[in-house]
Amino acid sequence: MPIAPKPHSALLIVGHGSTGNPDSSAPCFEHADAIRRRGLFAEVHCCFWKEEPSLREAFYMIDSGEVYVVPDFISEGYFTQDVIPRELQLTGPSTIIRGKTFHYCLPVGSHPSMTRLILRRAREVAPDADPAQTTLIITGHGTHLNRNSAQAIRDQVSRIAASGAGYAAVLDAYMEEPPFIAGWDLMAPTPQVIVVPFFIADGLHSYQDIPVLLGIEKEPGAAASQRDIFRHNPHHLRDKLLYYSSAIGTERLLADVILDQVADFDRMHKSALT
Amino acid sequence: MGELEFQTNVSNHFCIVTHWQDAGRVNEPGFGGLERHDGPSAARDLACRTEDGQYRFNKGQTNLQRGWMMVLESGEDLRQALDQFYPAGVGVFLAHRNDTLEVENLRDKLQRQSGMYRLADKISDAGAQQLIRKICGPNHACARRILWQIDAHTPLDDSEASRFSGIPAPLAENEAIPLLCREACNFFVEECRKAAQEEMLDLNHPNTRASDRAGLRGL
Ligand code: SF4
Repeated sequence: MPIAPKPHSALLIVGHGSTGNPDSSAPCFEHADAIRRRGLFAEVHCCFWKEEPSLREAFYMIDSGEVYVVPDFISEGYFTQDVIPRELQLTGPSTIIRGKTFHYCLPVGSHPSMTRLILRRAREVAPDADPAQTTLIITGHGTHLNRNSAQAIRDQVSRIAASGAGYAAVLDAYMEEPPFIAGWDLMAPTPQVIVVPFFIADGLHSYQDIPVLLGIEKEPGAAASQRDIFRHNPHHLRDKLLYYSSAIGTERLLADVILDQVADFDRMHKSALT
Repeated sequence: MGELEFQTNVSNHFCIVTHWQDAGRVNEPGFGGLERHDGPSAARDLACRTEDGQYRFNKGQTNLQRGWMMVLESGEDLRQALDQFYPAGVGVFLAHRNDTLEVENLRDKLQRQSGMYRLADKISDAGAQQLIRKICGPNHACARRILWQIDAHTPLDDSEASRFSGIPAPLAENEAIPLLCREACNFFVEECRKAAQEEMLDLNHPNTRASDRAGLRGL
């Protein structure tokens, strides 16, 4: 959905970041650049839990009086519900902090338009695969620590199944809880399989752990920025043709999902005020 | 600012940014062989890696790569570039100058850690003071001036790190924007966690707090 320009507002994208490699925050910066180029906001900034600028330092980068905060996270959870509100001192959907009004939007991963991104990614990675002969598997971490992310994946699976995209099967699978991604070939009823990791950035999981579980790699390799694992599609493995995509959060159109969350915020919270 | 030098009025450009040790090359023919970048977009890549490809997650480290120049045509572009080289550095400096900066003492920062980093707050005050001498300051490749204390009642011990101005280049205070450390960085937090673990595992460690020692004995 197109968003009206907000020349007096700032956009603050909040990511996790990493002290180990730049891959975790790279998509965040790319989405920020893409949105900045469109000139919709007076300022666009990123901040991180594990990288600079920190969530608290970000306050000092912002000149505008109104700030939209969009978490670049895959689902609601500990970070979006505890860490970000505490660090930014947010107490509700809109909070005034030292003269600036902060609007707290929902995380990108929970927006319905993520479905469009997954379908686009699947088509990009396997342009010649006939959906009727193809299983689409969306994979995430799993385990009780990430219960919300598994739910976000299940929501996407239902939406894609109902979308008329035509895949023979649409399934969810996890690294650490059943159904296990390691059994991808057994759960897929078709000769072709597309696996899309539902992560916000390419990191240890999408570059190292999942390729091993899928059988593409024998042992974990180097970090994302040093490799090109996604260039070797398709993989002939276990009598099937496997297409493996990079993390969904690296998709260029995620910038649109960030804007969708801002538009949704306005619709849900601002229309009540006018 | 930090390891950067800004030059205005060179060849009619608004501003040319380089590593301060490369500043002279801008006036040589062919810009002294510096790789030219127009606009601020290369700033993140330049700031992310050292010359030999190491990830610089602490942007205050004094290992910014050399051999490049950035040509900027507006104040807005300059601010954007600086926010990539030294995230929030300009804003934090301005707020500090206007007396509106909220500095975060070490204990506040450590108490807000999650997961395995919760242990970091177990570090003793003496252990934290030692870490500052071991990690911070230009002798340990950090160009920031520390503004925080251990807690509201415990200032930092006097050391090269606690005395540092935040200006790594040989410039007077009124000629440079200092890099300021308003909260301990994640590297420091990580080192606090390691040191706390060592203190706790070693009952006889001189830095182990009496209360923790009693607790550990009771285990
Ligand atoms: S905590 Fe120390 S090492 Fe980290 S940024 Fe501050 S001064 Fe530098």
